[in-house]
Amino acid sequence: MSAHRAVATLGALVACGGVVVSTTGCDRLPGRPTAAQVAAEGTAEWTIQVFNTSCRGCHAQGTEGAAVPLMESDYWRAATDEQVARAVLEGQGMLMPAFGPSAGGPFTASQASALTRGMRAIWGGATRQSSEISGTVVAGNASNGKSVFDAACAGCHGAAGSAGSVTDPMYLRLVSDQGLWTAVVAGRAALGSPAWNEPMPGRPSGLTATEVADVVAYLSSQRPRSMSETQP
Amino acid sequence: MSERSEHRAGESPASGGGTKPCVNCGCAGKSAKQDARRGFMFRFGAALLGVGGAIAAVPILGTLLAPARRQASGWVSLGSADAFPPGQTRFATFLNPIRQPTDGDSAKTACWVRCISPGKYQVFAVNCAHLGCPVRWFAQSRLFLCPCHGGAYYEDGSRAAGPPPRGLFEYPWKIDGGNLLIEAGHLPGLEQTT
Amino acid sequence: MIGAAVDWVEARTGAMAFIAPLLTHHVPRNAKWWYVFGSATLMFFTIQIVTGVCLAMLYAPSAAEAWESLRYIDEQVPFGWMLRALHGWSSNAMVVMMAIHMLQVFLHASYKFPRELNWVTGVFLLFTVLALAFTGQVMRWDQDAYWGLGIGASIADRIPLIGNQVRGLLLGGPIIGGETLSRFFALHVFVLPGAAIGLVGLHLALIMKNGISEMPKPGATVEPATYREEYEKRMAKDGVPFYPDAAQRDMVFCGACLVLLVVLAAVYGPFGPGGQPDPTLIDANPRPDYPFLWIFGAVSLLPPASETAVMLVAPLVGVLVLVAVPFLANAGERAPSRRPGMVLIASLAVMAIAALTWEGKTSPWSPVMNAWSALPTPGHFLTGRTPLQVQGANVFQFAQCRNCHALDGLGGERGPALDAIATRMTPDQLMRQIQQGDGNMPAFGRNLDSAQMTALVSFLTTLKPEFEAPARIPGAQLPLPVRRMPGEVATPVAAGPQ
Repeated sequence: MSAHRAVATLGALVACGGVVVSTTGCDRLPGRPTAAQVAAEGTAEWTIQVFNTSCRGCHAQGTEGAAVPLMESDYWRAATDEQVARAVLEGQGMLMPAFGPSAGGPFTASQASALTRGMRAIWGGATRQSSEISGTVVAGNASNGKSVFDAACAGCHGAAGSAGSVTDPMYLRLVSDQGLWTAVVAGRAALGSPAWNEPMPGRPSGLTATEVADVVAYLSSQRPRSMSETQP
Repeated sequence: MSERSEHRAGESPASGGGTKPCVNCGCAGKSAKQDARRGFMFRFGAALLGVGGAIAAVPILGTLLAPARRQASGWVSLGSADAFPPGQTRFATFLNPIRQPTDGDSAKTACWVRCISPGKYQVFAVNCAHLGCPVRWFAQSRLFLCPCHGGAYYEDGSRAAGPPPRGLFEYPWKIDGGNLLIEAGHLPGLEQTT
Repeated sequence: MIGAAVDWVEARTGAMAFIAPLLTHHVPRNAKWWYVFGSATLMFFTIQIVTGVCLAMLYAPSAAEAWESLRYIDEQVPFGWMLRALHGWSSNAMVVMMAIHMLQVFLHASYKFPRELNWVTGVFLLFTVLALAFTGQVMRWDQDAYWGLGIGASIADRIPLIGNQVRGLLLGGPIIGGETLSRFFALHVFVLPGAAIGLVGLHLALIMKNGISEMPKPGATVEPATYREEYEKRMAKDGVPFYPDAAQRDMVFCGACLVLLVVLAAVYGPFGPGGQPDPTLIDANPRPDYPFLWIFGAVSLLPPASETAVMLVAPLVGVLVLVAVPFLANAGERAPSRRPGMVLIASLAVMAIAALTWEGKTSPWSPVMNAWSALPTPGHFLTGRTPLQVQGANVFQFAQCRNCHALDGLGGERGPALDAIATRMTPDQLMRQIQQGDGNMPAFGRNLDSAQMTALVSFLTTLKPEFEAPARIPGAQLPLPVRRMPGEVATPVAAGPQ
């Protein structure tokens, strides 16, 4: 009798399974493969995909990532789309590689622009590049810049500064003028560096746009022309 | 002739001379003539089968073993030599000159072209010298890296680190009418001279 | 009426006379749940044949179309994905079940007299099934299949003198292409299944001929001279008919396996196909299927000098050793408790394969190809650093160091993690290591500018726990000068080695 009951139970189970499958449909089982979706160029999904594999290693957010954090709005206030797209395509300084076709990189010019627009839309929010200061380098007066630097910056960023020297010739060789400009203008809040017009220990009122240009010109003038100049 | 003949039920003993008893059962067996004929028929049949089989084996083994034969490589263009700027290493693809109609995408082949100086090139196969996985060029560290076991090669294709027993395989190249041509075909491998 | 029909067929075929002994032959009474694994393997094999035939009706065995046809089966054909899922999961299940069956036979020494050839046919079946699994991976004709064939070709190429010819025969031509897939298709659907069916028949015939072995008992030794006679006697006295006494367990176990298989297939779906088999898409990261991960792991861990020899000789030795097992000891004790050496060998083999499979799955020797551009430098390695050190962190990403060296557990594992490298190496040692490399690290001397190098080393010298002393030259009385971080607490340094 018990054997018969076991068979009956099994039969009932199979029937239940059949009902479940026929009502939910085989198509809704979890194992069903979905057609691979390739995000269309320019969509937010595409931007995130590209950013996460190609940019995030250096450009993250907060204290993460050694280069300018692209995942927060501070940077987007300091930079123009043209300048970002150019950096993507042609590289910048000694450490931002070129990702454009001229270097055999993966992005076309239109992809670089789409990526830039996408990033600004996601992380820049509504911020536009500030109208008070240029996003790209403006020529300044280096000797003027030295006195501004000594007065406003050297306390933290001078040769004996508490935040480490930015006049270190090795540092200056690695960073382009545009890189210096962006660093001064955008600062890096999470690592304790104020933006250009925010209060600084050496200059509670912040810098003016002219002073930024002068300081960058001064730092640029300190960059060694050849490696022999970097030797102490 | 044959002494290994068998007795078969229902067989009438042959008449006439030359009869001798069957060795197996001692009965008055078949004639030696019949015996000889049967033996001959069998061997004749076997010989026929052998000859036929040998002839049939030619196309069977021929098609089966044909792939062991080396085929001549062919020259194939990678496009204008100007597309490979000096000092850089670029990705290039070509259709394998030895290919069959059913190859589909698998006839596409990739290589890395390094332009040392104008008119001087090195063209590397993507296949790692270790186990053939596709190596990738990293322009920043000027290294080729293999995703399988971490084989690494310098810009000039020489082995930098990891398990590969030698440097990257190179294709012979020439410039013809402003185009960069390479001699390619077989999948690169250790036993190969190229 | 039905009885008459059965008799009519029986009179002409003798089918019942053939089948009846199969069902009623006596098997040992104590052969309980240990003996179900062989039946389960056979069940999975049957499923492979049925699903395989159905798949062959849908699959296009042409290099130009195979991948598309699999996508079609997965996405368009009703229940097609489930068919592929069943075939894929059943393939893995068959390999696993076969391994368990083999392990049980080995531990119980069932291969001893008179069952030596049962074992030998089983070994041949094992290799046939593994060959089916490998050729089945090729059927998927995706990137893994393409580059997996490339690996096979590279191994064949290492055979001295005739390597190139062997490779040509394996691939069916000078490249991995149309004829390669056709060749592997013929192997996968004609040659190997044919061989497997023949071997299964032989294996079963031998089981009928030699009987099911009893559970081993310490002291009950196998004596070839008298074994058969005594086995017959014991079976006649104490055996039970295969049907229904033993068959019921086989039924229950096979049924449970089948239900599990269906659930696995329904929940986890089919394997692949992965990326399309276009060799110019070199962002591939080829990995073999589960049954071969341990070989992938073993090949990766071999020292390069012994590699070719081991890759070519080890498989032959493996086959020979497995075949030789019953001939090395075909009499005597069968109980595992009296054969500790054999138990040890089996345990070691299982552990080795499990460990190598894990290694193959995690493959720590593989660089993480996009770590440099995808994994940001953790914030705590950047806070309070000088501008040069922050640029050094940039160089660390830029020069793809991260592809082989992890920070905070993220990144490649090919080289050591560098979270605390400054406690192990002085700046000079770091500089020399980076410039000159060693066997497993490329030399970066020619590839990095001196400013990049300086920045990188200055970043690396900050990679240490806050209160731990930096590395020193052995015997040096004072710590090497390192740039003090703002806010860093001066670390007390003991004078001289402890």
